[in-house]
Amino acid sequence: MRDHLCRSLRSYSTHARRAIQAQNEAVNALVYTAEPTNRPNGPLKDLAIAVKANICTTGMPTTCSSTMLKDFTSPYNATVVNLLQEAGADIVGKTNCDEFGMGSLNVHSVHGPVVNPFNLPERRSAGGSSGGSAAAVAAGMCDAALATDTGGSTRLPASYCGVVGLKPSYGLISRWGLISYADSLDCVGVIAKDVDTTKRVFDVISAYDSKDPTAATPTFRSSAHSNLTERSIFLDGSLDGLRIGVPQEYFPAELDPSITEPFRAVLSSLQEMGATLVPVSLPMTRYALSAYYVLASAEASSNLGRFDGVQYGTRVDTPVGADKTSTRDVYAHTRSSGFGGEVKKRILLGTYALTADAFDGYFLQAQRVRTSIRQDFDRIFSAPNPLSIPPTQTPTDNGVDVLLHPSAIRTAPALPTSGTSDSRQTDLSAYVQDMLTVPASLAGLPALSVPACKGQDGWPVGVSVVGQWGSDELVLRVGKVLEGLRA
Amino acid sequence: MLLRSCHTYRNLLQTRLLHTRPAYREDKRWPGWEVVVGIEVHAQIKTRQKLFSESLTSELGHTPNTNVSPYDAAFPGTLPHLNFKCVDLALRTALALQADIQPRSSFDRKHYFYSDLPTGYQITQFYAPIAKDGILKLSKHNLRVRINQIQLEQDTAKSMFDPRRKQSQIDLNRAGTGLMEIVSQPDMRSPEEAGDYVRTLQAVLRSVGSSDGNMEQGSFRCDVNVSVNRPGAPFGTRCEIKNLNSVKFTMIAITSEVFRQTALLESGRPVAQETRGFDEAKAETFKLRSKEDAPDYRYMPDPNLPPLLVDAEYVARMQEGMPELPERTRARLVARGLSERDADVLMSVDSGREVGFDGEAGSGGAVAYFDALAHGRDAKVVVNWTTHELLGQLAARKDKALTFSQNPVSVQQMGELIDLVQDGSLTGTSGKALLRHMIANPSPARPAALAAEMSLLAMTDRASSADALRALCEGAVAALPQEAAAVRMGNEKVIMKLVGRVMKESRGRADATAAAALFREMLVHSS
Repeated sequence: MRDHLCRSLRSYSTHARRAIQAQNEAVNALVYTAEPTNRPNGPLKDLAIAVKANICTTGMPTTCSSTMLKDFTSPYNATVVNLLQEAGADIVGKTNCDEFGMGSLNVHSVHGPVVNPFNLPERRSAGGSSGGSAAAVAAGMCDAALATDTGGSTRLPASYCGVVGLKPSYGLISRWGLISYADSLDCVGVIAKDVDTTKRVFDVISAYDSKDPTAATPTFRSSAHSNLTERSIFLDGSLDGLRIGVPQEYFPAELDPSITEPFRAVLSSLQEMGATLVPVSLPMTRYALSAYYVLASAEASSNLGRFDGVQYGTRVDTPVGADKTSTRDVYAHTRSSGFGGEVKKRILLGTYALTADAFDGYFLQAQRVRTSIRQDFDRIFSAPNPLSIPPTQTPTDNGVDVLLHPSAIRTAPALPTSGTSDSRQTDLSAYVQDMLTVPASLAGLPALSVPACKGQDGWPVGVSVVGQWGSDELVLRVGKVLEGLRA
Repeated sequence: MLLRSCHTYRNLLQTRLLHTRPAYREDKRWPGWEVVVGIEVHAQIKTRQKLFSESLTSELGHTPNTNVSPYDAAFPGTLPHLNFKCVDLALRTALALQADIQPRSSFDRKHYFYSDLPTGYQITQFYAPIAKDGILKLSKHNLRVRINQIQLEQDTAKSMFDPRRKQSQIDLNRAGTGLMEIVSQPDMRSPEEAGDYVRTLQAVLRSVGSSDGNMEQGSFRCDVNVSVNRPGAPFGTRCEIKNLNSVKFTMIAITSEVFRQTALLESGRPVAQETRGFDEAKAETFKLRSKEDAPDYRYMPDPNLPPLLVDAEYVARMQEGMPELPERTRARLVARGLSERDADVLMSVDSGREVGFDGEAGSGGAVAYFDALAHGRDAKVVVNWTTHELLGQLAARKDKALTFSQNPVSVQQMGELIDLVQDGSLTGTSGKALLRHMIANPSPARPAALAAEMSLLAMTDRASSADALRALCEGAVAALPQEAAAVRMGNEKVIMKLVGRVMKESRGRADATAAAALFREMLVHSS
């Protein structure tokens, strides 16, 4: 019996490594492949898991897909990596991503773009920024992958690649070892082939960590849990009593009409299973994108200040005859050649938003919008937000348990050819896409993308389930139902 | 407890309302000018660990880059972890300065690129400091200086330029050490008041254990704002003098800056608002940068650190554990009959060691030693023995001076020694000799036993001692015939040479006064 088990465990990993060998060259999902190691027995012993390139590992390089860190190996492991290793997971390698998590197509990478494995010859984008994680799972190179999500970076590639992507409630998973893009938004996410695997990985890494000052304390975790059990809805397959909100603002003009139809079909199926559909409005949604880019860029400009080539990372020496009198001027050479275009653009935007003249009109205004967005959500959910002090409202019967909306405005777009990659058009559409994902990021809410629809082109589109803070378990349960509809 | 602290706050509010600008007093150095000084102090918090990491704090002389964690070196993916010991010591400081502790304060990032700042930003409390509106009553001047605010922040690394190799070298030991920034209102009117402010603040921080307050070693640094105006006129344009590292240089820098500013104004030129440095060799300030060059620090609330919440109950608990403040110590010592000078000496010896790291009870400084020693003894006698003899001998040791914390003589030993002298068992001279022996040869032995062993006990048996003294004196006369002759000729001063001989022969046990009287009787009166 034991022998049989061992053989089957080994075969899982072997299967993953065989897929890596066969497909990675074309897909470009993994940027580093690890050798198998002796692993302890644990709940994830049968899983091959890849880790995004912006999560620190001592045994593998952590490049953030940037020239700045292309030869960097962290002196410590991220807490999530330790948790995976302790649970016996087979860590197969590091995944490609947009540089420092900034991007929606996984094209801003020193390792080159990721090609969506759904149909390789079409050369479509795997989405970003966690494109490598989603593509690695979709191509069978691993059962699950750690991703990160600042404004949609887990959910969007999951949607494009036809896999499951969870951005948990902010604070549930330790950020110690996740290389910051925007601390107040960054979350470690999980991408996996199915909802059950997603949940298994989530259950292992969702643990309080004193090393993360923004980690939700056990008190908040249990308070969110008791909110969930109080509702005690939807425990036995039936969706009776489950109230699903459909936010009208999440169907913008840019949404591909061919997605609306399959999404409606999903809604009717859920209704047939007993769920109540409730049209809701989140009026602040339209300001979310601007607020997100101001806040995320401001934090990025601050967080990326540390990459100066002094303590670690790439260093570009000053050219002969260059002015070395000010530290700024010396750093400029390293920073100018170490960061890619998208990163530089956001650093500049963020730097401006924090200047004395712009701070009130941009940064503070964006923070106010963020608060309003949170209140928008708190108003429509039946469960109170455990983090709001005092709780914004008591649970009402009119509230909804979860929200449902398409994860993306379209199926995976074609990878930009070198000629179009810098065109204004491409850039703007990438930002519009974020409109569907950034509100949950700004509010710190759990959001799960499940591949429940297909566009007219036959490519997958995800459906997103969004819940109140801490209701990750409920979100996963609804996701499981959505997954069943696909079959 | 809560009520009482509210009450204290109300009293404070009243004193603050009563605060008015002091009347102008002409200074002969700059007649017709009023000097206005405000001081910003950066004091390193005396904790074992840094403000946001678990690395140990360092002292001057530690090997560079040994107390450094990935967080201190700004490695990506690391996050700050607030050291609550730093918060506690800042709260003690706030209480000592009667400041309003804020129930909610927060941390912000101040951005600039410099090699001593590995993250590219310093975490500080720009928007909401931990305490506001305090008072420091100066110890030598009758002046209450208002404290604007106290904020927690990170110290930077140290960068040193090696001109020979044309290289900057960076030591991260200091990076991330906790600092308190203590900002005064512009309430001082002379370099001397500024000096008094710095010394008084040092003493307060040391007494509560929140900082070593050592300017020379850099654990206490001053930036000084100076302006001048005509009496009754509004404040003039101020200049900030950065990084002054002794009280003396602070006062000289202010004086020289006042002369510079008054000279400008008297010749009809304006004072430009700027940041200045101080050249110790020339005793002059010099321009670092003008207001226009002031960097935009792009302050941003730190997204990693939640707000710091301090409730009234916690403050009340802090209040109960507060060590005695210098003003109170001084008053208590003077009330026991000590001179201001003696009180000063006791309070300044090894100050900063009364309280250990993290605010824990320390080895106890000279005041604690004195307090224990003076229990049941004459305070004046005890302070003489403590300051003149004990401290004097510790400092005057030929091979290596000892600090008070290295004093090997216990309170019990010192007390017994004083008692032996007081009851006549030891002469003062023998007592001092015994103390010297005890310092040189630390042991738990009792002074009475040591004195007996060393035959230092005074010749107290009257009959035998009279005979012994006469024998000693006769021996001296025989040994020093020329001196004896001089005394006989009427030169009484020379008696002291003979007495010295007696003291030497008796190894200090003889009564010097009795010996002098005996010589007078033998040599002067008999002739």
